[in-house]
Amino acid sequence: MTPPPLQDFLDGLIADGVFGALPPAIVYALGIVTVAAVVIFGFVLNVAGVTTFIERRVWARIQSRIGPNRVGPQGILQWLADGIKLLMKEELIPAAADPRLFKLAPYVVVMGFVAAFVAIPFSSVLIAADLDVGVLYITSVTSLVVVGILMAGWASNNKWSLIGGIRAAAQIVSYEIPAALSIFPIVLISGTLSTQGIIQAQGWAPWNWFIFYSPFTFVAFWVLFTALLAEGNRTPFDLPEAESELVAGFVTEYSGARYLFFFLVEWGNLYIIGALMVILFLGGWQVPPVTDNAVLLNLLQLVTFVAKAYLGVLIIMWIRATLPRIRVDQLMSTCWKYLVPISFVNFLGTAVWVALWPHGNRPVWSLMTLLGFALAGYFFYRVGFHLRRSRSELLLSPFS
Amino acid sequence: MAASVREYLRNIAETAMTAFEGMAVTCSHFLRRPSTVQYPDRMPLRVQDTLPFRYRGILEVDLEICTGCLACERACPIDCIVIDAPKDKQTKQMLLTRFDIDIAKCMYCGLCSEPCPTGAIHHTPEFEGADFSLESMVRRYVKEPVAAYKPKKVETDPAVAPILERGMRYLDEFASPDAPGGAVEPDETESAA
Amino acid sequence: MSLAGYEVAVEQVGPHGLETEEMTLNMGPQHPSTHGVLRFVVKADGEVMRQAIPDVGYLHRSIEKIAEKVGYHGFMPYTDRVDYVAAMFCNQGWASVAEKLGDITVPKRGEYCRVIAAELNRIASHLLSVGTMVLDIGAITPFFHAFREREKLNDLLEELCGSRLTYNYMRIGGVAWDLPPGYAEKVLAFLDRFEPMLAEYDDLISANKIYVERCAGVAIIGREDAFAYNLVGPNLRAAGVRYDVRRDEPYSVYPELEFDVPVGPGEHGVVGDSYARYAVRIREMTQSARILRQCFRQMPDGPVIAKVPRKFRPPAGDAQVRVESARGDMGWYAVSDGTEFPYRCKVRTGSFAAMAIIDKVSAGLMLADLVTVIASLDIVAPEVDR
Repeated sequence: MTPPPLQDFLDGLIADGVFGALPPAIVYALGIVTVAAVVIFGFVLNVAGVTTFIERRVWARIQSRIGPNRVGPQGILQWLADGIKLLMKEELIPAAADPRLFKLAPYVVVMGFVAAFVAIPFSSVLIAADLDVGVLYITSVTSLVVVGILMAGWASNNKWSLIGGIRAAAQIVSYEIPAALSIFPIVLISGTLSTQGIIQAQGWAPWNWFIFYSPFTFVAFWVLFTALLAEGNRTPFDLPEAESELVAGFVTEYSGARYLFFFLVEWGNLYIIGALMVILFLGGWQVPPVTDNAVLLNLLQLVTFVAKAYLGVLIIMWIRATLPRIRVDQLMSTCWKYLVPISFVNFLGTAVWVALWPHGNRPVWSLMTLLGFALAGYFFYRVGFHLRRSRSELLLSPFS
Repeated sequence: MAASVREYLRNIAETAMTAFEGMAVTCSHFLRRPSTVQYPDRMPLRVQDTLPFRYRGILEVDLEICTGCLACERACPIDCIVIDAPKDKQTKQMLLTRFDIDIAKCMYCGLCSEPCPTGAIHHTPEFEGADFSLESMVRRYVKEPVAAYKPKKVETDPAVAPILERGMRYLDEFASPDAPGGAVEPDETESAA
Repeated sequence: MSLAGYEVAVEQVGPHGLETEEMTLNMGPQHPSTHGVLRFVVKADGEVMRQAIPDVGYLHRSIEKIAEKVGYHGFMPYTDRVDYVAAMFCNQGWASVAEKLGDITVPKRGEYCRVIAAELNRIASHLLSVGTMVLDIGAITPFFHAFREREKLNDLLEELCGSRLTYNYMRIGGVAWDLPPGYAEKVLAFLDRFEPMLAEYDDLISANKIYVERCAGVAIIGREDAFAYNLVGPNLRAAGVRYDVRRDEPYSVYPELEFDVPVGPGEHGVVGDSYARYAVRIREMTQSARILRQCFRQMPDGPVIAKVPRKFRPPAGDAQVRVESARGDMGWYAVSDGTEFPYRCKVRTGSFAAMAIIDKVSAGLMLADLVTVIASLDIVAPEVDR
């Protein structure tokens, strides 16, 4: 079904006779497809591509290097060059592989990834479809990638790929539980599953964000973050594609455009993780009401949302550069023995909290905000300590 | 697996604290100057000019001071030097007709430059020898037959003297059983071991 | 490679009435985390290994045979290639065995130059070892930090002898070049910057809970196994045996130097596990820094090389020498028949024995642990195959 603003807009065009004798259902379908294409080609692919470049530059600075800086000014066209190169590569299908599954797997994975963008808002009106079950829809549809990964691992006819695919299946399916359980507290507090509804239940200022609502939601934030990292196959949970053990895991036999699809999904998923954290815990696109102009306000909201989500993406890249990889049995025990009990405690605690204080406990909320900022302050103090101890030369500009 | 509630909580706390500290270290690295040198175009000097004097790059032969003693050919452990130094029948002088070094075979060990009496064969700071054909890997230093150099007590020929001086300076770097090694001044500001 | 004798009976009916089959994987010569060209035939039941059979020989270059062709002096650059990660020790081993055959004494300053070069190389080799170990476990950043420090060491060694990896620094009777002017200041400045970097390394990765969980308790090799399989060096010391050739069968000027011999366990884990092997290497780097500072203080003046004839003809006989390389006790054995070409040269390296113990230790480990074990034993392919 088309979202109301789009439907009104298209109805106006039909009344003007723009579409001639086409039945309205076809017009609506065309409208949806156009919106989807704009979102995908205008935003998703570019974000995924630029994220690969930014990741390489961020890692490089963390590793005392520079990173790609030759293709285009400061190297910003590197991702285009890589994409074009991958598209021009030879298509290899191993002789004993299952050709239909092998070719189908990347598309299933991309489907699972792109479909999630339907319910992710960019501002108060810019959303492809404000579903009433938005958050539930996102978590369910991102699980489709498991099917694709298993297909890739099996169809490659390569034992290492098979191990990678099975690990991925175990990992993604297991970590769905703590992820969903950590979303429930937010649903309890805001009373709705719709993404726009959750954002509207928060405010623009940090002391109105759900992350500081209560100690339970604070812990739920970190549990959700960990679980989403595992869903996205990111270190410390990148066993399915552990480079040093399995060559490249389930994508070992893929080359060219199919490889490009898998990697677009991986890096695009970072944005979904960031967006989900921002929607649920960090206030979404809320901005202080600085202007009455709707277009300007929406633009401001768009910029705020993308910036906050991208900050989450940067943190994920930063985590990948810092932490090692955990082993598959430790992954399972972390999920089932640690994250699941903790998320149950969060869920019950939040239920009790909401029962006691339906509109939130203002003092605790503000206190948690202060504690959060104190933690961030302590973090930067430790950063300064390490800088002082190493006595190295500083370069604060990200360019070089 | 955690045997008690205390160990369970300690596991969680340790994970969080060590991850926090690790992230602080990497964040501090993000603010530091990277140690990459952007070779070869964004450097103030050519790399070859920044290398130490003892650097063992591609070999070079100064035929003006080569005596034709074949000590380098004998010393090479991988047989990459081929020299032809016949005696000219008329003038009874030793001529150098061929001095080929195969830089693809050469292992840049420096054993040939040690026994040279004048420092004619020496390593240069040049290291970029990649090329597209195997034949270009054989450097032929003799263009036309030249007379071998006869070492004199004091070299007066102005064309040869600077080359000989550089060759002898190269040889001086090598340790010899007679030359005493230099003293190393202890550093006053070193920290305690 | 024939697998005759290695077949394991395939279970057709598992414990719950299901048909199971063992998976034979090939962790082939080309793999991102076998250190060099090593091959393992892994029989695994899903993620858990039953056996990991090592297959060596992919980097065999007949170096020992070449010694018989090029002579004593000419063999020195080839010894660099026996273990190119820690080449100074190989140089030292060959020079020492030739000196023992020919009854040559190295001047005191020459011995100090050898120790300085060797300890610098030990730090460089251990940096490579711990860097690649953390990289295999998944932490990509500390690898680059370790290599950044290693680059500075490479620059120092380049100034000393002209080359960054295959040094050919030592000669029979001493060393080829004396220390260049200003070298002591440069090395001491490097050490002053290096020790805080090691502390930072510890903060970043050594204490990290995920890293500790990956390494602690994995592949415990106790004293008896270590002795039975001839493990040496940090692998042996991690098993709790305080044995170091520099201390127990001293050579060169090590009797005049003060240093500790670190043994396992590390701060976490138990004696003989992968974490202990890692921690021993980190602590050995600090000890090497200590040795270097003492050397610069104690170095006497004098020549650095003894008089050795160009045609070196030691009397017929044989000699054996052991040096404490970065990977442990490296044994050099040479037989002379009176000519200027040795009759036989044999090298005994620590990595070869470490390859053998992987077969024993890998039963019951997971696939991810195999990578940890290989990395923690610090196996380098050139040393295994020569």
